[in-house]
Amino acid sequence: MSQDFTQPISRRGALAGASTLALLPAAAAQAAGRTRYITSNNNPYDILDPHQVFDIGRIAIRLNMYDALVRWVDNPAKLEMWLAEKVDISPDGLVYTFTLRPNVKFHDGTALTADDVVWSMERILTLRKGAYGLFSDVVKPGTTKAIDARTVRFTLAKPFAVFMAVLSELWVVNSKIVKSHDKDNDWGAEWLTRNEAGSGGYRLKRFDPAIGFQAERFEGHFMPFGKGAIDDADFRVTMETATRVLGMIKSEFTTTDGYMPAEQVERMKASGNVWFKEAESIRTFYFIINSAKTPLNDVNMRRALSCMFDYDGFNNNILGGTVVRNPGIIPNPMWGAPAGLKGYTYDIDKAKHYLSLVKEKIRPLQIGAMSGYPQSEQAAQMLQAGAAKAGLEIKIVAEPYTTLAAKLDDPERAHDLIPLWRSAYFADPHNWTGFIFHSRNFKAGNASFYKNARIDELTDQALLITDQEKRRPLYEEASRILLDDAAGIFINNTKFYGPYGKAVKSVRFCPIGDTQDLRWIEMNT
Amino acid sequence: MRLLALALRRFLWMPPTLLGLTLIVFSVSHVIPSDPARVLAGENASIEQVETLRRKFGLDQPLPVQFVRYVSDVVGGNMGISLYTQRPVATDLIERLPATFELALFAIALAIMLGLPLGVVSALMRNSWLDQIVRLVTIGGLAMAAFWLAILLQLLFSMQWNLTPVQGRIDGWGPDPITGFYTVDALIRGDLDTFLTALRYLFLPMMTLAIPAMATIVRFTRAGVLNVMNSPFVFYQAAMGLPRRVVIWKYILRAALIGTLTQIGLVFGNLLAGAVVVETVFSWPGLGTYAYNSILQSDYNAIMGFTLFTGSVFIGMNLLVDIAQAVLDPRGR
Repeated sequence: MSQDFTQPISRRGALAGASTLALLPAAAAQAAGRTRYITSNNNPYDILDPHQVFDIGRIAIRLNMYDALVRWVDNPAKLEMWLAEKVDISPDGLVYTFTLRPNVKFHDGTALTADDVVWSMERILTLRKGAYGLFSDVVKPGTTKAIDARTVRFTLAKPFAVFMAVLSELWVVNSKIVKSHDKDNDWGAEWLTRNEAGSGGYRLKRFDPAIGFQAERFEGHFMPFGKGAIDDADFRVTMETATRVLGMIKSEFTTTDGYMPAEQVERMKASGNVWFKEAESIRTFYFIINSAKTPLNDVNMRRALSCMFDYDGFNNNILGGTVVRNPGIIPNPMWGAPAGLKGYTYDIDKAKHYLSLVKEKIRPLQIGAMSGYPQSEQAAQMLQAGAAKAGLEIKIVAEPYTTLAAKLDDPERAHDLIPLWRSAYFADPHNWTGFIFHSRNFKAGNASFYKNARIDELTDQALLITDQEKRRPLYEEASRILLDDAAGIFINNTKFYGPYGKAVKSVRFCPIGDTQDLRWIEMNT
Repeated sequence: MRLLALALRRFLWMPPTLLGLTLIVFSVSHVIPSDPARVLAGENASIEQVETLRRKFGLDQPLPVQFVRYVSDVVGGNMGISLYTQRPVATDLIERLPATFELALFAIALAIMLGLPLGVVSALMRNSWLDQIVRLVTIGGLAMAAFWLAILLQLLFSMQWNLTPVQGRIDGWGPDPITGFYTVDALIRGDLDTFLTALRYLFLPMMTLAIPAMATIVRFTRAGVLNVMNSPFVFYQAAMGLPRRVVIWKYILRAALIGTLTQIGLVFGNLLAGAVVVETVFSWPGLGTYAYNSILQSDYNAIMGFTLFTGSVFIGMNLLVDIAQAVLDPRGR
């Protein structure tokens, strides 16, 4: 059932607004002078708690109803001060002292203070869900302190250069409200799955886990809105791609996801009712290679595989040029991606040469493609075709991600190759290097069981330095090594093709959350 | 009294049937390698985080232990917590029930209203052009995949003729629930606009479910009527000089309905199961989309909960059908 947000200030207005909107069609709501923006997503918006989930699919909840100390904006993504107005970092990189903006209010009108920041961090560390993994190694319970109402201090257990970057996932909740709904010391977990206690630019109006949520603009937000900012926003789940596309063409939705198959993009374009925001994102597509198994532990075998994939055929013909060739693992627009990196090319003769250098016996390989993701299955077929030309047998097994993921804890059960994406959770090269190739992260990020002492050393070293310019060469070297060592088959970087209805005037793209941060969207009434 | 005994006997079969169903679904869903804790924790999760979730949801226990624990919880009225929505499965199911029931009831009502007369007429005009057309339509209705039919209807009614919305249950948010059935709630409030809007949204998913259901009903009614038409008692009624329409609609139909009724019971159960596809295509916020998401996420408790619920409805419908058959046909009592 739908549930109303029960904070005292908004209740009456929210109820009135919700019941009115329920009875009015979209056109009538717009006629009343308010803009209404409807997002259709293929991911259910079924948990509102910002500390229990950490995924791209439900990021709109966090971006719009909550604030963090810092926020990612624009493309390439820049980290801007948000709830905080300044930060002091100790020379050893262990102590971060933030000064909060004055007069920040939660949606119920109470002031957001350093105590709320501290409590939010402790809540993440206690619940051990969502973004917990980002903080667990470096922030220990009880070490975050409120110095005064506007000053909060984090003392890290060890230097962690990406701390500022991951703080964008420390969503600050109204501790008083959430505490008042505590049940059996659950830190308000049950209550916050269906309610909201944030300070973000939009506040909850209605929520139904089967449908999604509706939010209205929060005029009391500390950051002024631009002219044409959205008044009311609906975020709804529509699992079927064809339905989302038809809904866009028929203007039942204002927007949907920006990573549609090329033919669906063309279909929407042809309708004349949809325009597209195009931007290069930071979401690389590559093959995980299970380096723990023979003969894939041999660099020549991995290089041979890298020469068997028809990069141009895949990127330009199959995907219709909706992606950009990305020769390394770090996305092209991301700092730390080496300039002029020369990737492998489709060269069957070279593949055969590398195969001849493989010491172990070559056996037939198996690709675990993600079922339901055409690009993953098409890439698998492309590699299979190239391998056949080189005399290598490859079998394809399509499985849902849940099944693929279940096998990643054990190199013997894991597939030899898996084509998938590495999405951006925070814009730092560590996301694409240390996290997925450091040997410390076997079973927790490093799904290829790749081990290289130099990569471990470089990425560890880069985490100790806070100066981006000093970190840059370390990641550039790591990227080159990973390419030379063919740690994966690096194929492309995704382009974002965000479809928008004609009423949308402009959007501001950021690869973290794409364009789901409503604040940066302008509409005609 | 005999009816009561029949109902009681069927009712007593319910627990072992559901237990068997639970065992089958539990085995099938757990035999597929899957790691819901890993999926739930997300790709950036630490090993510790995944292990914590495994312990919390009992996924670290041997399968027989998990099964016994699940069954004892269900007997105690607890269907567990959904791994994905983090809410009690029973709550999730109850919240989505009205949407699916409203859709299924409208679909079965339409299927019966069209299917019964078409079946009778088709039998009475056996081998005529009308019978041939009905046969063609019903075979088509049975053969078409729900997914394909749904998209076809969307393209025709929504995109080509602009008569219905493509998806959803209503524009925006439904009326504050009384029964949870939007149409009924709108009527209770005397709100004709919302009632008509809800009907427009209901039309396409209802048709997608109703067409194959109607086809089944037509086929069984036609076969039943043809069978009964040659019975001696029909000749007797005709020889007695009863008007033809009375013979057909009172005597023939009543006898012919026994087989059709069994099918209607089964069809209604199928509508709930078939809602998984139809609700997904039309973004209908009911049990079907819940089941679909649960399967994608390997949400064991939710899958089990949906299956148990659908199984219970099947059994309940069979019970009602048995009773109705006994009422219609005294030989069965």
